[in-house]
Amino acid sequence: MKIGKRNRRVAALLCSSTLALATASTGLIGANAGASTSTPGVTATSITIGASVPLSGIAASYASVSAAANAVFKYVNKLGGVNGRKIKYIRLDDCYGLAAYGLGCTAGASTTPLSNNQQLVAQDHVFATVGSLGTAAEMSVMGYLRQNGVPQLFVSSGSIEWNQPSSFPELFGYQTSYVAEGKIFAKYIKANYPNDTIGFIGQNDDVGATGLQGLEDGGVTIPSADNLTYNAADAISGSTSDITADVSTLAQNKVPVVVLYSVPGFTYGILATAHALGYSPQWIITSIGSDPLSVNTPLEAGAVTTSYFPSTTDNADPWVPWVRKVLEEDPADFPKFNASTVMSFNELYGAGQALAFVETLRAEGKNVTRGGFVKALTSTTLDTPAITPLRYTNGNHQGMQGGAIATVNSNGSLAPNSVTVTKTVFTTTPFAGSPLNSSNWTIAPIPSWLK
Amino acid sequence: MTWLRSVVAQERTSSRLVGVLAITVVTLAITFVLPPVADSQLAGGAAISIVILGLSWLVGWSGQISLGNSGFMAVGAYATGIWAAHHGSTPLIVTFFLATLIGAMSGLIIAIPSTRLSGPYLAGMTLAFSAAISPIAQNYTSVTGGEGGLFFNTLTTPHWFLGFFSGQNATINANAQWTADLAVAVAGVAFFFMANLFHSHTGRAMRLVRDNDVAAELVGINLPRTRTIAFVVSAAFAGLGGSVYVLLNATVNPSAFPLTLSITLLTLMVLGGIGTLSGAVIGGIIYAFSTNLISHLNSLTGINPTSNLGANMQGIIFGVLLILTMLFAPHGIAGLGRRIRFFVKSARRVAPVSTGE
Repeated sequence: MKIGKRNRRVAALLCSSTLALATASTGLIGANAGASTSTPGVTATSITIGASVPLSGIAASYASVSAAANAVFKYVNKLGGVNGRKIKYIRLDDCYGLAAYGLGCTAGASTTPLSNNQQLVAQDHVFATVGSLGTAAEMSVMGYLRQNGVPQLFVSSGSIEWNQPSSFPELFGYQTSYVAEGKIFAKYIKANYPNDTIGFIGQNDDVGATGLQGLEDGGVTIPSADNLTYNAADAISGSTSDITADVSTLAQNKVPVVVLYSVPGFTYGILATAHALGYSPQWIITSIGSDPLSVNTPLEAGAVTTSYFPSTTDNADPWVPWVRKVLEEDPADFPKFNASTVMSFNELYGAGQALAFVETLRAEGKNVTRGGFVKALTSTTLDTPAITPLRYTNGNHQGMQGGAIATVNSNGSLAPNSVTVTKTVFTTTPFAGSPLNSSNWTIAPIPSWLK
Repeated sequence: MTWLRSVVAQERTSSRLVGVLAITVVTLAITFVLPPVADSQLAGGAAISIVILGLSWLVGWSGQISLGNSGFMAVGAYATGIWAAHHGSTPLIVTFFLATLIGAMSGLIIAIPSTRLSGPYLAGMTLAFSAAISPIAQNYTSVTGGEGGLFFNTLTTPHWFLGFFSGQNATINANAQWTADLAVAVAGVAFFFMANLFHSHTGRAMRLVRDNDVAAELVGINLPRTRTIAFVVSAAFAGLGGSVYVLLNATVNPSAFPLTLSITLLTLMVLGGIGTLSGAVIGGIIYAFSTNLISHLNSLTGINPTSNLGANMQGIIFGVLLILTMLFAPHGIAGLGRRIRFFVKSARRVAPVSTGE
């Protein structure tokens, strides 16, 4: 009984001390924040933005996307910034959301896309996230960013999730959706392989599912025996049984045309497995998994893909030499990049995201707010390296709407380093059943202030 | 000072309540001082510490080994995710209770055959379970969302809590701290239950089974039943931990619960100290701040974080820590404290004798 009373006294003491501490520290927070009431991340001379991207692990080949964006920001900063503001771009590694595996991931096991975004929002007070990467990774932070009113701009993924303007007004996609790409593939397949059986290997998530949806929407039916998925997580943990099983099924069925919806690391795995089995179908590979410098195998020569950028070796296009110049001026992000280095698709992709950001920021004017930025984004003409316009409207936040069929060039016994992009761009809206329209390339002019 | 000794020795339920409450309240107070990012990390650590505690009970008190606790964690996590997808407005306490219950049920299913096994055979059986969970989740896409998983909104902060905060980043800071406080509070409740369980009839029976199962049977302890209870409790804690973990991350997907997580859990448990409450707390803290530790070490040594060495820093650090722990503190970091106390005490006891002569 004696002890019980004392315990109560101790409990009361602890409770009251906590309350005292709580009031004390909230006072502190108030004092800190009271210093500025402007838009988060924006000062008179700077604007801070961030991204959660894979810099290590299975999707590390995408690291050059955000590096290229960073190079563009540095270039713009050298020109004096945008309306007097220098851009600070914080990139955090999330290991494609697979840090829990700890294999080859620099990020600690407790790092998730959400924890990175919490750091960007709560510690670095970013104005927006720009070019964060990964379908599943970014879906896991949509709610958090909306809850805190942080714009989630130019998500590096072809999911159609980014286009929900009514429920996520500050969320914007970037690249052509996997659905639209699937429809373009369907058109190509119907024209070139009308009587052949088509096989499909897709990542067992939104990437594979929406790619398949586009193919089916475009009128290509995949027999269920040849419609296969693999689990990225399994393969990362050291077992490639999924991919081997999928490829051998298609090899046994002698499927002549196979569509892949995979990231470059797995595209390589699939091509190598097929080669080992003596199986060489016509490969049709999603744009996110076909960049020849990332896949890095001679087996990819002749594969068909889509592109929403000119070929990286096409020096007649004004943007290719411009991006090369920007990368050469940033040895911190691109060490050893010189006139003879071959550029990858990733660099044009990342440069386009950065360009879209700085051009919108410039259009918004001197007074920067999140709401004003979103408004400017849906009304500004964005000039980027893309061959299909990057346009946002109040009702459509997808980003690019089309792409052209491209073929991976052979490079003899070496891994290919370029693609040939056909001159016809197919565009469509992200809405189900909408038709494909064809047009010629749109080559946007380089804005004079960036020259 | 009798009451303090009683709290430390955990002789009564009331003293255990005060002990756990004190640690919980202190941790809650700390969340007010920590920056929001550290709060989020602490929340993850609190969730993991619940799982470690469940594992610690199984290994330390019943002497069984499990490599399946990441699987039980996944069961609790998916139970939460699937329930939240359809019943978003359920009070959190109900969701936690459901996840714990379903975790316990999965533990029961695994326990029934497991009680006939021991040592490496049992480890193998539980290993198979945690290896099987991911493919199951990946393939029942309509329920589990496949490899992408299920997504939901982050927790909303109640208005009265927002009232503590002011200024430009009030909502952001409040959100981070509310989730941390919630996770710490749930961990506090879980730790209180375990503290009582340690000192219950079952707890004592468990220890006897661990040390000498023949003696345990002679005094009338039902061996399979006791071992099953150990498993079920461990799985229930893992289920609860998984549930909290999922609510913190606003997503559940198979890649969050790989086989390697089971190994990480075991490592953290050994580092902290097997079979103790404080060991589980220490394990959770190591987990929560391991990322900071790695980046700090990388910057201290100048290792490029994207190099091969930098990318495998986590394995190296955990490995070295594990070896050091085994060599110098076989009872973990928690045991180290006890060891030091013991040395100090015996030194004191020796001292008067030598001066007296």
